[in-house]
Parts: sequence; structure tokens; C-alpha cells
Amino acid sequence: MQEQAVTQTTRPRALALSEEEHQRLQRRYQRRRSLTAYLFLLPGAIFFFAFLVIPILLLFFYTFNNGGIISEREWVGLANWRNVLRDDLVITAIKNTVVYCLMAIPAVFVISMVLALVLQQAARGGSAFRSLLYIPTLAPYVVAALLWQFVVHRDFGILNMILVEFGQEPRNWLGSPDLALRSITMLEVWRGVGFWTLLFLAGLIGLPKELYQAAAIDGANAWQRFRYLTIPLMRPTFFFAVVMATIWNLQLFDSVSILTNGGPQNSTVTVVWYIQQTTFAYTDKVGFGAALSFMLLLLILFLALIEIRLLRKR
Amino acid sequence: MGAEGRALARDPQPKPGRFGGKSLYTIAIYVILIVAVFISLLPFGYVVSTSFKSTMSLFSYPPDWLPENPTLDNYRNLLNRYPFWRWLFNSFVVAGSVTAIKLVVDSMAGYAFAKMRFPGRDALFLVVLMSLMVPFAALLIPTFIIIRELGMLNTYWGLILPGLASPIGVFMMRQFIESLPSDLENAARLDGCSEFQIYRRVILPLIKPGLVVLGVFTFMTQWTSYLWPLVVVTKPEMATLTVGVRSLTSTFTQDWGLNSAAAILSMLPTILVFIFLQRYFIAGSIAGALKE
Repeated sequence: MQEQAVTQTTRPRALALSEEEHQRLQRRYQRRRSLTAYLFLLPGAIFFFAFLVIPILLLFFYTFNNGGIISEREWVGLANWRNVLRDDLVITAIKNTVVYCLMAIPAVFVISMVLALVLQQAARGGSAFRSLLYIPTLAPYVVAALLWQFVVHRDFGILNMILVEFGQEPRNWLGSPDLALRSITMLEVWRGVGFWTLLFLAGLIGLPKELYQAAAIDGANAWQRFRYLTIPLMRPTFFFAVVMATIWNLQLFDSVSILTNGGPQNSTVTVVWYIQQTTFAYTDKVGFGAALSFMLLLLILFLALIEIRLLRKR
Repeated sequence: MGAEGRALARDPQPKPGRFGGKSLYTIAIYVILIVAVFISLLPFGYVVSTSFKSTMSLFSYPPDWLPENPTLDNYRNLLNRYPFWRWLFNSFVVAGSVTAIKLVVDSMAGYAFAKMRFPGRDALFLVVLMSLMVPFAALLIPTFIIIRELGMLNTYWGLILPGLASPIGVFMMRQFIESLPSDLENAARLDGCSEFQIYRRVILPLIKPGLVVLGVFTFMTQWTSYLWPLVVVTKPEMATLTVGVRSLTSTFTQDWGLNSAAAILSMLPTILVFIFLQRYFIAGSIAGALKE
């Protein structure tokens, strides 16, 4: 291909163009290139508009209406917003979701970071360990939640078997209000560790080796290298991870829907679970669900932007 | 990641006290890894074992780790009484279509964002970045209404189309393509290649690892997706694996053996795909996607 390039680039020599003609041709060329670029973006843009931009606008419209899925749609003004802000279960749902995020994200990040550092040190068998650690992430939530029932089941779960072995009382992991959300968190951490470990490991491998050699020559010990090199250098990876984890975890639904369905005593009601219930499960409170969805959208945007602010600076 | 990664992974500083310190250190590393893998895989072992247990022996106490009289009844039950193959087929059609379409569409958009200059490029890319923050779950209601208006409830298109909007692929592809040297495309341009030919013949072959990463990521996301199929599908024959497997459990009774067999069978394809492609997937290619 490159040899061809040499033979073909012998340009016609006498190509005298006036300045004006030159500019006109250049503009035409630029226009053609822009047009090509837009054509390349077009297929993606169609899906983007049809299933992202339009839904957001439609969602906003539906927050001022009720019905529309089973019953007829009718305009209700701000009633949905008023109801959402007054609803006790909405407060519970937001509280549970945020508490879950505050438990799950730090836990999964610390474990994954430790495992990534350990994997980086493993001279042999690293790739086998990586693959095995990734397997839980491959489980669909339906499967992961089923697996987890074998872990936390009151009578024949692994966790209680271990507790009994150590002479402790077996616990009702999913059936008691103060343990249920923690059991869900454990499941999500278990399932998430593989993914985040891989991501952090990819970040670690990409770090410049020379800096570590220089630091070692200067007599920095392992902890100092970690504290003053790894942590600051990993900032872009952490930045991406924290923002994406917040966005994903605030949408907690699958495991809750399958394992506890919001119970016991609403202790595992999450925002998305409540949206799904009000809209599709047994009620037809579409407007209420829409207003709650819009709140979730704003909540996620708000938190993500705060995190971007905090992590970008410094 | 191969030799290069491993060389990087090794500690640059030789450990003092070579013999005792170093080997203790190595042992500690492998103990941590083995414990982590054990915890990751233990529940799977329990489920595999349960899938071979007969219904009677399920509730023996204390529960046993290995089935006393292993039986294939659960698998037979699942395949004979439920449309399991149909669910598997549906999941393959949906996940496969979304992956194929997204790979083409996202790499085209990524190429335009990475290598072309046109008015409004940076503003449009900012829109893509902002939209990464939009949670799909929040768009459940309007998406459902749009799909219903299009008459696509209980159809493959209804399952596929909303999955195509996700902007994360465009973002990843742009990062990958931007890191390619421009010399190659310029050479091709001098050869008289059209932009489409450059995309097809130069860019696509070069970003193969990136395409595999995006492909696996998209396929897995679709394969494990639960909320959307749950909402858009009401006919049992259009159910995907996740919804189908879930429907095996009624509210009050649960056939653990049957559920376990279903769990194992529905995970097999993803594990096979992963083992087949993990070389690419782990190749640190995600790191490329993360560079800002």
C-alpha cells in the first residue's frame, strides 16, 4: 500500500490556481469533509435521539400527566411532583439507595484495589486468577441472586453453616429489616469485585515504570511508592470508576427485585424498584413514576457533577 | 497481557533479605488470591452440586456438599417442560444484534469524533459525555411508551432498539481511534481512498482489540439485562433467558434443583465466550479506553 503511495503522489506540475480559486476549492473540500463526518455520525445519532434525547423530553412531559400506559393520559399539572415530594416511601427509597451506595462502593473499591495490587505482584498464574475472579461478573443478576440465596438462606445457606460451625446463632439474612440491605450489598460487592479488579489492574499496568525505578533508587519504600506514586497516578482511573460506579449503583434494581422485592418492612426499597412498581407492577401511577424517574435523573446528574468537580481539582 | 505486562508488573526493587522475606511475600500473595477465588467461586460450586440433587435430598440437614445420588432430572425437567431453548435463542438474537449494530455504529461515530474536523465536533462530543450520566432505568417509562407506539412490544426489535442508544461505545471507540497514528490514514488518503474505505480498510483492522472489548462488554450487558425485557415482554415465547429463568420461581414455591440447572445452563454460553475472548478482553485494552 505504501509503495503504491509513492508512485501515485507524483502530482501534475503546472497547476496554477488563482488565490480566489484556491480558497473556493479549499472551502468546497472542507464542506465535503464535514458532510462526510456528519454522515459517519448519522446512524448513531438516530438511535441517540430516538432512545435517549426524545425519552428524556417525553419523561419530563409525563411528569405533568397521569395514566398513559393502561388508562388514558390526562394533564394533572404539578400534582405528581407534589406527591413524590410528600411520599414517605420515596424518602425511604432514596435513603436506602444512598446508604447502599455508601456501603457498596467503598467496599468494592478497596477489595478490588487490593486484589489488583496483589495480582500485579503475582509473577505466575496471574491471568488464570484474573479470569476466575471475573466469573461472578458474568452471572446475570437472575443467576447471581439465585446463587446468593444459597449463601444467605436461613436453613441451608453457606453463611449460616459457617456461623453454626463457630457456635454462633444462625441469622435471617434476607428476612430481617436490619440485615436485608446488607445482604444485598454483599451480593453486589461479590459480583462487582471481578470487574473493578480488572479495571484497576488495567490502570496499574499502564503506569510509567520509570517513575517507580527512580523512586526506588531514591530509597522510597513500598508504602511510600504506593502513597505518593500509585494513588496520584491512578487518579484518572479512580475518577472514571467513582463516577461510573455512582451512576450504576444508584440504579440498584435487579437483585432487590429478585431477592427481597423491597421487603422486609420496606428495608430494601430502592428508587428504581419503586419506579418499576408504581408504573408496571400493580398500579398505573405513570405520572408518579415519571416524576420519581426524573428525580433519579437529577440526583445522578447532581452527584456525578459534584464528584467530577471534587476529583478534577486538587 | 503477555510478557510486556508481566515485566511491568514485577516489583522493580529487589527485596532485601532475599530468601525468607521474598518467599513469605510470595506465599502471602498467593494465599490472598486463592482465598479471593475461593469466595468468588464457592456459590457456583454449591449451585452445580444442587443442580444434580434430587428434590428429596435438597433439604437434608445439615446440607451436603456433594449429591448422594446424582441425577440429571433437573436438567431433563427444565428442557422438557419449559421453552428453555427458545429463551436461549431469544437472548442470542437480542444480545447478538445489539452487539453487531453497536460495533458498526459506534466505531463510525468514534472515527468521526477522533479523526475528522467539522463544526460542532467538541460540542457534540460533550453531549455524548454528558449522556453517559443518564441512567437507563429512569427512561423506562418513555422508552416503553415509544416502543408501544411503534407497535414493537413483544418483538425482537422492541428488545433490541433501546439498547442501541447507550453512548459508552462511542466514547470508548473515540478513545481507541484517537490513539492511532494519523500517518496510516493520511497515506491511505493520498492513495485516493475515500473516508469510508479508510474506515473500513485501515481503522477497523487496527482497532480490533478495542472492538473485542466493546463487543464483549455490550454482549454481556445485553445478556444479563433484566429490567427492560421484564417490562417489554409479556408473551412467554418472547422472554429472554433472564426473564425466563426468573419465571421458573413462583412467589411461594421454589424448585431449587430446577433453578440451579437453569442457572448453570444460562451461564455456560457467557463463560465460553469469555474464555474464548479473554486474551483480548484482559489485554489492558480497557486502559486505553480510560485515558482522558
